[in-house]
Amino acid sequence: MSGIGTGYDLSVSTFSPDGRVFQTAYAQKAVDNGGTVVGIRCKDGVVLGVEKPVASKMLVGGSNRSTYPINQQTGMGIAGVSADGRQIVNRAMQEATQYKGFYGEVIPGYVLSERIASYVHLFNLYWYVRPFGAALLMASYDSEGPQLYLIEPGGTAHRYFGTAIGKGRQSAKTDIEKLKLTELSCRQGVVEVAKILHTVHDEEKPFELELAWICDESNKEFKRVPADLAAEAEQQAKAALDEDMDS
Amino acid sequence: MAAPPLQLHTPASIGPASGPGDIKSRPAWSPYDDNGGTCVAVAGSDYCIVAASTRLSTGFSILTRDCSKLFQISEQVYIASAGFQADIRALQKMLQTRNVMYQHIHRKPMSASALAQLLGNNLYYKRFFPYFTWNLCVGLDPEGKGSVYTYDPVGSFERVGYSCQGSGKDLIQPVLDNQLKAASPLVLPSENWMTALPLEQAQDLVRDAFVSAGERDIYTGDCVEILTITTGGVHRETLDLKKD
Amino acid sequence: MFAKAPSHSTALGPGCAGPPLANPQQLSSAQASAHERGSHQPSCGAAPFAVDASMLRSTGSQPHKHTQSPYVTGSSVLAITYAGGVMLASDTLASYGSTKRYKSVQRLVKVNDSTVLGAGGEISDLQFILNMLDDLKTEDYCADDGQSLSSQELYSYLSRVMYNRRNKMDPLWNSLIIAGLEGGKPFLGSVNMIGVAFSDDHLATGFGNHLARPLFRKRHRPDMSEEEATALIREALEVCYYRDKQSINKFQIAKVTASEGVSISEPFALPTKWEYKAFVDPTRNAVGVW
Repeated sequence: MSGIGTGYDLSVSTFSPDGRVFQTAYAQKAVDNGGTVVGIRCKDGVVLGVEKPVASKMLVGGSNRSTYPINQQTGMGIAGVSADGRQIVNRAMQEATQYKGFYGEVIPGYVLSERIASYVHLFNLYWYVRPFGAALLMASYDSEGPQLYLIEPGGTAHRYFGTAIGKGRQSAKTDIEKLKLTELSCRQGVVEVAKILHTVHDEEKPFELELAWICDESNKEFKRVPADLAAEAEQQAKAALDEDMDS
Repeated sequence: MAAPPLQLHTPASIGPASGPGDIKSRPAWSPYDDNGGTCVAVAGSDYCIVAASTRLSTGFSILTRDCSKLFQISEQVYIASAGFQADIRALQKMLQTRNVMYQHIHRKPMSASALAQLLGNNLYYKRFFPYFTWNLCVGLDPEGKGSVYTYDPVGSFERVGYSCQGSGKDLIQPVLDNQLKAASPLVLPSENWMTALPLEQAQDLVRDAFVSAGERDIYTGDCVEILTITTGGVHRETLDLKKD
Repeated sequence: MFAKAPSHSTALGPGCAGPPLANPQQLSSAQASAHERGSHQPSCGAAPFAVDASMLRSTGSQPHKHTQSPYVTGSSVLAITYAGGVMLASDTLASYGSTKRYKSVQRLVKVNDSTVLGAGGEISDLQFILNMLDDLKTEDYCADDGQSLSSQELYSYLSRVMYNRRNKMDPLWNSLIIAGLEGGKPFLGSVNMIGVAFSDDHLATGFGNHLARPLFRKRHRPDMSEEEATALIREALEVCYYRDKQSINKFQIAKVTASEGVSISEPFALPTKWEYKAFVDPTRNAVGVW
């Protein structure tokens, strides 16, 4: 970081001479150092997978959720500082409720992604706030079909066929690019996501896999992947990994 | 001359000489109703009886024949309420919350006298938009004697030996006065107002009182719930009344 | 906004409202003052159909802020329990005063997998309540804890909402029946616009309380079969339809059972017979009346 020590990285309201906002970049770093989050848009829906490092053996399994439903047809996966992410999730719930009350229709994915991006962006404008140290993958299923969005700390929102954020994003993205997403069903997608997350997690440290989806099989509602299916996917992922090791 | 204020053309406003202010012909909406019901409580030296009818009415209609008007606050303390049922529910819910808060602080259930004061305060607090409820607060005092507190809707209350509230009180109260032989409050030095009647006789009196009120008061009927509170516990019985 | 009280106008003919044309002296004082004020008002003195903006202005007394009376209303809702379920019924009419304004309004609504709400009274207030319940349901969904509100909880919630609004002197003008299964057992609860709330194994709002409930009291048993329950509720609907002017012969029946969850029937009509002697000649046994 060339900004360190120059004084241009102290405030989110100061540009560096070469046109960067270091505080925003640092927020992005907080995301990049966190657990990997993967999202893919398959032919019939979207699958989100989160790699959650288990900080202690005494942790109760399933605690520290990092995928959240926003309403029946939208959900988010948090990468980075989960407390920051939860704040954004709450805002998204409010926006969704407000939209429904105003227009009587479910908020479309692109509208919600833009509204959330605007909200996140606000924290890049004033010296007295800090940007969120979290990025969100948003899965929605509306009249436009299933969609995947990524909202980052700088206030950007992009639509993806598939993407990954967090520590293992580089190799995860390479793996996603190899998938034939237009032919893949969500059921297969779940296995692929599990494989990718197991592959990119190269340390010995234990981790928990959180899988959520919204697809025809989940009745077009954002839900956690059913426990049996998730367990099966994880088993297949481990088996595939062992195979790679052997060969 | 100032023009009269403009009015919406309701049928009533079109009639002759409708001046400002008398726009409405229909009665204004009322936030209150009287759902009827009768409560009786009798305090003895080692027991307390509290009873309430279960009919819920509005006007000349019966809403349900089975709506309890008794509410347990703690093991030996009850509230009996007649009047506007929505206010009764709100009052009960509030008292229950306050009882939980009391127990967080004091680590013991509220006594009848503490609840009596609390109820009086809360009724009085809402006196400009009163709870339209007629209440009895019933329980045993620290010596195990029956205690009955009787209220008006805006919170004045006193401890008595027996009392009756609600739609049947005009019929029942004089009978209680007669049968339980209360000393006049004017007698000085004041005499013990606690009823001397043995438990079984007092229970019979309460049963008769409700059966009698059920004959003439259309808001008292269907069933009466009678609780007998003693140091040994609470005994509950129900007695069917006429359903007409 | 309101139709004018019927009168006979020499200018417009029998049954037509309004004073004679070109004779403003005969206007009543209220009409006359209204007549002077807005040029858009009909010169015949008939009540204007549009809302005069000046009427919404504060003129001594405040403009309407609260519902003082309902506008578009639904009539009775009937409900009974039976062995293993609950059954509700209502017609699909929403009246504007005595006008049958909307004839296909569904007044029985599925709230969740174990609860149905039936409503009479102001339809806009019903829609407000439904929006509220919808938000509540989404909030519940987001909690993602596998829990959902039970019928009893919804009943309790709605009774607080109704009571709270009456405390603000701004009531939701409805009579509600909440029906469902509570721990597998049938549950029926009723709440009205001032917050009076109670539960029973048969309920009816509005006219139904006078006409259907006596039938329920006579014939209802908690262990009735579904066929018996259907027969009873259809008979009660028929009785209500014969005597309640603000009802139409287009009904829906909703059921909640453990096996099938919530189901709401398509609208149907009941066979009716108007040739009963008492209908044709209502004064036959009452000598001296006309």
